[in-house]
Amino acid sequence: MKMKIIASTGVKGGVGKSTFAILFAFKMLEKNKKIVLCDCDVECPNDYLILKQKLKNPKPIYQEFPVLNEKKCKKCGLCSKVCSEHAIFWIKNNYPKFILDLCTSCGACWISCPNNAIEKKKEIAGEFFINKIKNNFWLITGRSKAGISETGPIVREVKEKTIKFAKKINADYLIIDTSAGAHCNVIQALLNCNKVYAVTEPTPLGAYDLSVILELTKKLNLFTEVVLNKANIGNKKEIEKIVRKFNKKISIEIPYSEDLIKAYCNHQLEKMVNLI
Amino acid sequence: MKIVIASGKGGVGKSMLASNIILLFSKERKVAACDCDVDAPNLGLWLGITEYNFIEKISTSKKAFIDKKKCIRCGKCEKVCNFKAIEKKNNFFEVNPFLCEGCGACKLVCLANAIKIKNVKNGEIRVNNTKYDFPVISGKLYPGETGSGKIVEELKRRVEKFNYEIAIFDAPAGIGCPVIASVRGSDFAILITEPTHSGLSDLKRILDIVNFFKIPYGIVINKWDINSKLSRKIEKSYKKKILGKISYDKKVIDCIVNLKPVIISDSKVVKEINKIFDNLNKILKM
Repeated sequence: MKMKIIASTGVKGGVGKSTFAILFAFKMLEKNKKIVLCDCDVECPNDYLILKQKLKNPKPIYQEFPVLNEKKCKKCGLCSKVCSEHAIFWIKNNYPKFILDLCTSCGACWISCPNNAIEKKKEIAGEFFINKIKNNFWLITGRSKAGISETGPIVREVKEKTIKFAKKINADYLIIDTSAGAHCNVIQALLNCNKVYAVTEPTPLGAYDLSVILELTKKLNLFTEVVLNKANIGNKKEIEKIVRKFNKKISIEIPYSEDLIKAYCNHQLEKMVNLI
Repeated sequence: MKIVIASGKGGVGKSMLASNIILLFSKERKVAACDCDVDAPNLGLWLGITEYNFIEKISTSKKAFIDKKKCIRCGKCEKVCNFKAIEKKNNFFEVNPFLCEGCGACKLVCLANAIKIKNVKNGEIRVNNTKYDFPVISGKLYPGETGSGKIVEELKRRVEKFNYEIAIFDAPAGIGCPVIASVRGSDFAILITEPTHSGLSDLKRILDIVNFFKIPYGIVINKWDINSKLSRKIEKSYKKKILGKISYDKKVIDCIVNLKPVIISDSKVVKEINKIFDNLNKILKM
């Protein structure tokens, strides 16, 4: 069987993306499948905590940042002009100053410098970790360095490395857990997935956010189904309206239960696998 | 005075708390509310806004376009792109619009002058007056577009056009570019968390950002009673920084279903939010 890549996403935070991803992993494990779970919420990764793991042996993810070689710099200011992030500050007859927390490592400055005065310096922008949870179940966690603004490329690197790893061990399923939101870090995580589960909750907030994610996956041309978490609270009508509008279906409903919260807090989600 | 509400983890109650703190401030002061979550702009819903009467499309993003007629297929653009947004398809180089950040590196290396960088309408800004008589400024990033942090920066510029004493900024989840844009320049940060291992871990992540900008902060523990043991541990770790805690109450969910701020309901959390507000005023010496 060719490996399937499944994503758990949902724009809104706290709707149960990670809970669903982990429940889904355990469910497939029950069916004797080989699973790799990839936590692509590199800004706030939590799957390892829910699974009671420690992150050890970090493997680095590098990004290249510009460093000025003052001996070569002729103070022309071209680098400042080409930087679309306004991360290079320059006053006439002065050396340019790089504001690294705005830099996205695009390379426009070192490409354009007529004197080759901008050198690239590799720096650690993030890390990833491999945990074996149990037989046939691995977790790969990506984590950005705090203060790194552009996290999309980190998600891409973590995902690429995870896909390689999952293929090497002949995994049946690669489950991608995305962050909240719908911008570049989520798009990176979703690209090329075979199936997307959009997790939501029956509130007006959940309904609005569901419409955002369904519009995004439609644009990205990704096969999507809806998971309604905390299904028995709030009001389902708004959700159903949006699901109809996008011609989707609610494939899984997870009821709100205090047992589930307890299991989440006590690292025992495996016991709740019958919920999905 | 600019106050930002952030959490790292999503769904812990940022917008819920923000809407109530704004309402409490608005009783005595001129306030402005700003929803910095342009992926999931939900603050307005908590304040009863479902439609916006002022919408302005904006362009804070650029994208590269390759002229196939001029392209000599040298492949330099593909190699230089740090976002891997240029792919070779059917012997032609194409820009993947979902990945392109519009940085212009490809244009700089193009030997045939075949690449143009164009502005893209990537989102909108919405301004509305609430029935509580203060403005809400919010934004929306169009699905699939890039440049969320820059929309947040634009929102913050718009807020400055209002005559306010206190502006509240409701940050998105995470600690990446739109969060950094929301937090930067604030006078005080209210960090909200929940007593789960995830909530605590993400609180530490957002603290890295808040401390980086040297912003004074206070912490609120939401749904503290879903795990009172971990809640006590958080209280112990952050002692003086704790502004207060909020119980879990299903009535809060009824409030959002009815688009009604929690503070005007009969939920038990009203008292707790008032106490948090009093503590906040003491710290801010207002």
